[in-house]
Amino acid sequence: MIHSFTDLLAGASLTTLPQQLASGILLGAIYALIALGYTMVYGVLKLINFAHGEVYMLGAYTALFVTWALGFTPNAPNPPEARVWMLLIMLLASMTVCAIVGILIERFAYRPLRNQPRIASLITAIGLSLLLQYGGQLVLPVSPPPSIDSKVNPFSDNVKFVLKQGDSALLTQAAGFQPKVDQAQAAFDAQLKSEKSQFDLSPRGEELKKALEDVKREQKVVTDSANASKVEITLPKGQLIMLGMVVALMAALTYLVMFTKRGRAMRAVSLDFNASSLMGINVDSIVTFTFIVGSSLAGAGAMMTATFLPGTQINTYFGVLPGTKAFVAAVLGGIGNIPGAVLGGMLMGIAEVIVIWLGYDAYKDALAFVVLIAVLIFRPGGLLGSAKVEKV
Amino acid sequence: MSLLSLDKATIQFGGLIAVNQVSFSLDKGDIFGLIGPNGAGKTTCFNLITGIYEPTGGSVTFDGKVIAKAGKSAGPESIAKMGICRTFQNIRLYGSLSAIENVMVGGFLRHRTGLFSALFDLKRAADETVELREAGMKLLQAVGLDDVADVRSRDLPYGSQRRLEIARAMATQPKLLLLDEPAAGMNPQEKMDLMEVVRSIRDQFGMTVLLIEHDMRFVMGLCEKIFVLDHGEEIAFGLPEEVRANPKVIAAYLGEAH
Amino acid sequence: MDSVALRRLGFRLLWIALGVAFAFLVQWVALSSGQFNSNGQRLFFLAGLYVTLAVSLNLINGITGQFSMGHAAFYQVGAYTTGVLAAKFYSDGAGLASKYPLPWLIGMMFAGGLVAALAGFIVGLPSLRLKGDYLAIVTLGFGEIIRIIVQNQKSLGGSYGMDVKPKIDFIWLSTLLAIATIAISRNLLKNVHGLAFLAVREDEVASSAMGVRVTRIKIAAFLLGSALAGAAGALLAHHETFISKDTFPMDLSFIIVTMVVLGGTGSITGSTLAAITLYLIPERMRDLKDVPVSYAALGVIMLIVTVAFVRRTMEKDFSKLRTVKLVAPWFVSIVVVAVGGAALKNVGPLSKVIDGQQLRFVIFALTLITLMLLRPQGIFAHHEFSLQWLKKVLARFTKRSGEVAS
Ligand SMILES: Nc1ncnc2c1ncn2[C@@H]1O[C@H](COP(=O)(O)OP(=O)(O)OP(=O)(O)O)[C@@H](O)[C@H]1O
Ligand SMILES: [Mg+2]
Repeated sequence: MIHSFTDLLAGASLTTLPQQLASGILLGAIYALIALGYTMVYGVLKLINFAHGEVYMLGAYTALFVTWALGFTPNAPNPPEARVWMLLIMLLASMTVCAIVGILIERFAYRPLRNQPRIASLITAIGLSLLLQYGGQLVLPVSPPPSIDSKVNPFSDNVKFVLKQGDSALLTQAAGFQPKVDQAQAAFDAQLKSEKSQFDLSPRGEELKKALEDVKREQKVVTDSANASKVEITLPKGQLIMLGMVVALMAALTYLVMFTKRGRAMRAVSLDFNASSLMGINVDSIVTFTFIVGSSLAGAGAMMTATFLPGTQINTYFGVLPGTKAFVAAVLGGIGNIPGAVLGGMLMGIAEVIVIWLGYDAYKDALAFVVLIAVLIFRPGGLLGSAKVEKV
Repeated sequence: MSLLSLDKATIQFGGLIAVNQVSFSLDKGDIFGLIGPNGAGKTTCFNLITGIYEPTGGSVTFDGKVIAKAGKSAGPESIAKMGICRTFQNIRLYGSLSAIENVMVGGFLRHRTGLFSALFDLKRAADETVELREAGMKLLQAVGLDDVADVRSRDLPYGSQRRLEIARAMATQPKLLLLDEPAAGMNPQEKMDLMEVVRSIRDQFGMTVLLIEHDMRFVMGLCEKIFVLDHGEEIAFGLPEEVRANPKVIAAYLGEAH
Repeated sequence: MDSVALRRLGFRLLWIALGVAFAFLVQWVALSSGQFNSNGQRLFFLAGLYVTLAVSLNLINGITGQFSMGHAAFYQVGAYTTGVLAAKFYSDGAGLASKYPLPWLIGMMFAGGLVAALAGFIVGLPSLRLKGDYLAIVTLGFGEIIRIIVQNQKSLGGSYGMDVKPKIDFIWLSTLLAIATIAISRNLLKNVHGLAFLAVREDEVASSAMGVRVTRIKIAAFLLGSALAGAAGALLAHHETFISKDTFPMDLSFIIVTMVVLGGTGSITGSTLAAITLYLIPERMRDLKDVPVSYAALGVIMLIVTVAFVRRTMEKDFSKLRTVKLVAPWFVSIVVVAVGGAALKNVGPLSKVIDGQQLRFVIFALTLITLMLLRPQGIFAHHEFSLQWLKKVLARFTKRSGEVAS
């Protein structure tokens, strides 16, 4: 039970906050990328594309298969070094496959139901999502859950950003402890040889053991306070590159939507579907285009997550949680609103790491929904969207 | 004493003042016309009176009680219960319910039996249902729809839908009935019939009627008093002949410079 | 009491007797027929619960039009309430529950229903401000929150789960709960009160202008629907004797919504039939053994072709052969799959086998998509089963075939 704000912060150390925020932004960038797909489809079709998370999952598998095709198979002597062009191939492959899947889904599951009540499309969307999860189990490698070989990622070394240098006196003091610890350890080890059993020590042995424990404890106290005095962010290079790519993709998307003819048509369709078709816009091709863009963004997100977040395991449920959260992010920002999806994604990512940072890991998935409900009740259109007023 | 009166009622949507300091009052038994060019704020007046929108200024009094004043309204449900009911300009029937069921929903607001008795299909709920159905059939007869009582309302022709809306509103047993463009989309014969229906609503059912209509012949032939709005403001008020001759009204309708 | 009232009472008692008799019949069939092992009995029991869940959600979704996607949460709340109470009053087979299992279980249905109704009230509050998709999302979110909270409560067994002792297992009670849920829904729709619920679904603005108290009706629908689901949860808890987060997966809410939509939104008959069908499809396939790839692959291909063809016929073809073209492709595909599958069974990669357990969910998902594509308004659309309805359908059918003949 939480009694006060200080209780709430008990589990968290302020100096780790910047590191956490950085992870939150990275996580948020991925959520944003997926959220864009939800928001764009909702914009033009007013449909929640429940299968979007599964498109993302297929993107991750595509990236995996590309690495296998290039020789990074499990249990095989892997090629020593990967190159940037290889990452590019993975990215393009994921985006292409996802785009194709998106087109197929729209063409065969949603378009036939376009003139029906929207709930019908919603149910096919749920059906599709189940189909891809369960059907995927049959045709995709699932056990043991594969992951992309770490050697694929040539950018695994860390970059350190020091925000605040540690207290130098404390740091040297902490470093100075190591010889003392080694010394005590050696003394104890020597004594141990002459003991009958390590569970039944002689008085001399007990004394040495206590000395060792004392010095270790002291070391920990000093090291902790030394660490607490410095503030730094450590990130693998790959994740920074990932952030850069997300930003680039978003810039490209902004250009596409704001400054091209197709983008303008897309905005028109999302304002008024019927009027747009009367004005001679080929709405079918715009809808297809929207699915291509949204799905390939999800593909890019999946490829980057699977490659740059070490140890990411892929299975057919890979898209469920990120999909749900990205969807929440889209609603949070105002569904149908492109900048809103980016903002929502970022906020979701940051909020999630903050909850973990506060020590409530178990509730990190619930948080998404709590935030969502609060926003929807107090600002039904989302942060950047505007709620539609019904004219009577 | 007047049945309904608006006192400097105002509604503002963002920068747009849709209804600006409008004051008028209706006496019991009137057939009162509210006219004006498109976008004048007529429907907004209805929404204000029926509690769908709140006024941003001024007040509305019905039957001696203030039902709305700046930033506050008794709300549509209690206003309906007090005795004001309406039809909608863009028909809002319950599309998948039959004609008679639509009218029964109108009669539901004076129900006496609780939900519990309905869930267990107790006799009192069943009796009340039968009662409302019979009352509804009478109203359908009054608007000439008794032969299509069991047809889904969305399958009815447009003119019938408009009359069904009137019957549904009458089922709430209002003292004041608001009709928003009841003759829109009807042919001349239907309009003539509708005039008869509206007169009988007043004469037989004793209701007061406030109506919006663009068809001048309809309005002039039916209404005893007419109030003219333009850009949210009153530009004329009086007997049909007076209003017809008013140069401001002519200007507003013909779009002359003013 | 006058004679009309007496007759009414007589009919009422007759119906109740019929309902109870039917419930015992189901139990008798489940227990006596040799082919049903305990797994088969479970089938009958759970079918009753699924009907309850679907029909009670239909009250909220179908009849009142409030798109709720968190129904499994109420089921879960009912089950956990029972779990907690059972743990309190159970002491090594000597507690209340063991001494008086039937009254205890009925008490639990009320307790579970009550607590679930409370949850339903809270979940229903946003429906006063939100509509359509947004409401769907929020109810989905509430459902998830309840699930996650339950999972993390040590007192509720955390992510491990909790035991509910003793095992109480009345198949007839589950059937009776389903019948009661159906009866309540039907009674509501029979009376003018039900029309007010439908009116809220059709047009809220118009309803409030007609003096229908929209807020009350929405809340009433949520209270009623969630209470019934909670009662079902209570039955489940004592039947399974162990409940955990996996008893109530996230998909469950989706599946219940699907039952309502597939049956035909608002149709009680539809929800009932869809609940039974959709529950039985994956359950009956539990015995599905390994299936050669040749069958599965051909099956998927033929399904796509058939659906495409039938859709085309539905939209464009009004010739005399229409009916034939709608029905025949299914038989043709079955034959093609059976013959082709057998022929290709031994050809290279097609001879590999697929685990039937995994295939059954694929089949479930495919059924769902196929049904929606071919009949988006749901199997029963907005109709209810009645003798009149049957007559009308038959009349139309004979008329149509008459036209074809002439
Ligand atoms: N909910 C709303 N939000 C913003 N503006 C509104 C709203 N409702 C009405 N308006 C605006 O108020 C003005 C008056 O509208 P209103 O519907 O009252 O006109 P009207 O006199 O009924 O016209 P018509 O004859 O076309 O029905 C219009 O400019 C309309 O766009
Ligand atoms: Mg108007």
